[in-house]
Amino acid sequence: MGYASTVKVPFGPQHPALKEPEHFLFEVDGDTVVGVTPRIGYVHRGIEKALELSTYGHGIYLAERICGICTIAHTCCYAQAVEELMGIDVPPRANYIRTIMSELERLHSHSLWVGLVAHEAGFDTLFMYAWRDREVILNLFQELTGGRVLHAINTLGGVRRDISPEMADKVRRALEHFEGRTKEYLRIVRTEPTFLRRTRDVGVLKPADAARLNAVGPTLRASGIKGDVRRDDPYVAYDEMPFNVITSDSCDVFGRTEVRTEEMMESIGIIRHALEHLPEGVFRVRAPRNVPAGECVSRVEAPRGEDMHYARSNGTAKPDRYKVRAPTLANIPALCKMLVGIHVADIPIILAGIDPCFSCMDRMVFVRSGGSTGRAR
Amino acid sequence: MVAYEIFQLVVFPGALFVICLAFLYEWVDRKLFARVQGRYGPLYTGPAGILQPVADFLKLLSKEDIVPRACDANLFFAVPVMYAALPLTALFIMPIAAPEALVSFEGDLIFILFSFGLMTLLIFLAGWSSMSRFSAIGSVRSALQMLSYEIPLGLVLVCPAIAARSLSVSGIVQWQAANATWGAALQPIGLAVVMVCMLAELELVPFDIPEAETEIVAGWRTEFTGRRLALFRMGRDLEIVLVSALVVSLYLGGAQQLWLVPAAAMFVIKTAAVVAVFSFARALFARFRIDQMIAGMWKYLLPIAVAQVVLVQMGLGA
Amino acid sequence: MSIVGEALRQLRRKPCTVRYPAEKAPVPPRFRGMPAWDMSKCILCVLCQNACPPGAIRLIGKGPEAEIEYLMDRCIFCEECAEVCPKRAIVMSDRFELAGFDRSKMVFRFRKEKEKQPEPPKHSAPTANG
Repeated sequence: MGYASTVKVPFGPQHPALKEPEHFLFEVDGDTVVGVTPRIGYVHRGIEKALELSTYGHGIYLAERICGICTIAHTCCYAQAVEELMGIDVPPRANYIRTIMSELERLHSHSLWVGLVAHEAGFDTLFMYAWRDREVILNLFQELTGGRVLHAINTLGGVRRDISPEMADKVRRALEHFEGRTKEYLRIVRTEPTFLRRTRDVGVLKPADAARLNAVGPTLRASGIKGDVRRDDPYVAYDEMPFNVITSDSCDVFGRTEVRTEEMMESIGIIRHALEHLPEGVFRVRAPRNVPAGECVSRVEAPRGEDMHYARSNGTAKPDRYKVRAPTLANIPALCKMLVGIHVADIPIILAGIDPCFSCMDRMVFVRSGGSTGRAR
Repeated sequence: MVAYEIFQLVVFPGALFVICLAFLYEWVDRKLFARVQGRYGPLYTGPAGILQPVADFLKLLSKEDIVPRACDANLFFAVPVMYAALPLTALFIMPIAAPEALVSFEGDLIFILFSFGLMTLLIFLAGWSSMSRFSAIGSVRSALQMLSYEIPLGLVLVCPAIAARSLSVSGIVQWQAANATWGAALQPIGLAVVMVCMLAELELVPFDIPEAETEIVAGWRTEFTGRRLALFRMGRDLEIVLVSALVVSLYLGGAQQLWLVPAAAMFVIKTAAVVAVFSFARALFARFRIDQMIAGMWKYLLPIAVAQVVLVQMGLGA
Repeated sequence: MSIVGEALRQLRRKPCTVRYPAEKAPVPPRFRGMPAWDMSKCILCVLCQNACPPGAIRLIGKGPEAEIEYLMDRCIFCEECAEVCPKRAIVMSDRFELAGFDRSKMVFRFRKEKEKQPEPPKHSAPTANG
């Protein structure tokens, strides 16, 4: 390792810090990263084509499997798009249940992330605690929907299972416990000196850069910009929910941690409000088999940021074109911006800082004749 | 008489006993660390999983042996053996079954310090010889880390020697026995500094920088598999015994008989307590970055260590 | 150091891990486990076959001799079949330990027989037909 030259350090597709196969090639000068080349496309699953080959009713189960844990967000987004094409109105009770489910998902996704970022910082005890307490939400899901991760609760025209008053009480009790735990995390991430040292001023993304590079979700909000689909373009029942859009001005990994942890508190408030004001009535209406021709874009605030689905129908029982843009894809340019000029040791914590879900975003295949490997820019 | 000496060297309190202790302390560490995190830890091998470290060792011995094509073969083969042998050798200097160690000479404290330095050097060579990027980064970090903690450690370890007017570990233990006191009572600052430095020496959180899993895979031992990894793990366990033995001997009275409890049992209890403190401490922190760690060591730990030396020179705690 | 209080409390508490093969977490009611057919209720209407998103249910043969083939390795446990069944012949059981090494053992055939009808999960006879 000479002083003049840079060293290329590969990160992934197999690396302990990346739970999903994705490759980043870092150019490292001493201990400073001077360049990064991402290369995505390791887990292209052809899911859009599969959606085009399946009927609308079956497609929702594929949409559920776009992401490993954002199952509600993607099915919500899919159902919204298709329901708009079909021209059916979802009953208000279904919208409220969808809201509750979305926020429960945000709780478990964010607490998973708090654990992950602690693990990347070498703080395994917080990792274990966060994942232990996440079980509360998963068990709740299991009782509400019959599945821990694949809930299969959203369907075209509503939801498949109702929330009974007894279940609502169970949710309230679980939330009470979880709220205490969330406050504890908030205290730990704000006071633990070693954790603060690893997260403060690490992975800085200035507000101007965040806006210019189209960051989404907590990554955007941690840069001090109030961008939240739930507020900007309310879907399901969010227009009737009181909540704050949490932002942070610190623009670093610490800010992202703070934003996510405080969002968990907001989510608890939303779920409580929704349970309190759950409208009476049916929770499901019949969806037609065929869909009139048209096209539609639907947006949902997934735990990781804005999730966008586009559907075009041609009057048959199957979509003509279906497009999914998962939130992680939108955060990749911002991520590359954050990754330049940092210490090698900070790479994993910054990567984890955007809450990457590479497998949901991979729609890319490189076909290059004559060349060896393709590289994404 | 010769047969008894051989027994002492090979079985008790020599190599075999120490290796058993090493496995036992790995179990103590894993079990306690797991309990702090709300897990069970090893559970199925032997009662409460106590044989799990041995099972892991045997399993690794039987694993496929992979040698990277680019590695420096001689170093790559030699370093694991040396890494396991060095703490084992150094442990002969530690008084385990009696206040007098098996091997003891005036100045063996210096040898212990030297062997800590040598361990880090071996780690550096291990990473360097495997010619992997992660290993290289890990070994450079390990060497950098040594530059920061070795000086406060050396300064502080000299303090008990000054107090006891002996540069031998056994001498310091006997001095504590004669004065009916513990080094920890006289030099609490020194004990604190030593514990921090030893966390770094053992590469435990928050100083597990050279083998930070999420950053550089397994650091300097990324390329080691099978037998060699088994030797490294045993070397690490022996190092834990060595470090806790040193802390116990210099600060906690060492292997002294207490009423009817024999010296060896007291030694095991005290060292197990030190190991428990280590594994509890490593559950409480996030990992430092290498620059933060070096800056912290030089800015805070070194002045404290110097203060301890000054205190001892002024006659306080001596 | 801000976690030290909780760490000490945790030492006195029972670990939260479930020692899985020895003890099992309870399965809540309405859990979506492996679907089970009650062939005495089944009318071979193939609604479940049409409703199944991954195509894990197939009707083989014709008339009263027809068999329902259930491919557990394709099943996504979505409960669509149980929901659509007009006779409630399909229920989602609480069986969830379904992993195995042999995919040919994950194919079940259910036949409508009047005589002996054991418990629904039991009359899943493995066939070599993969």
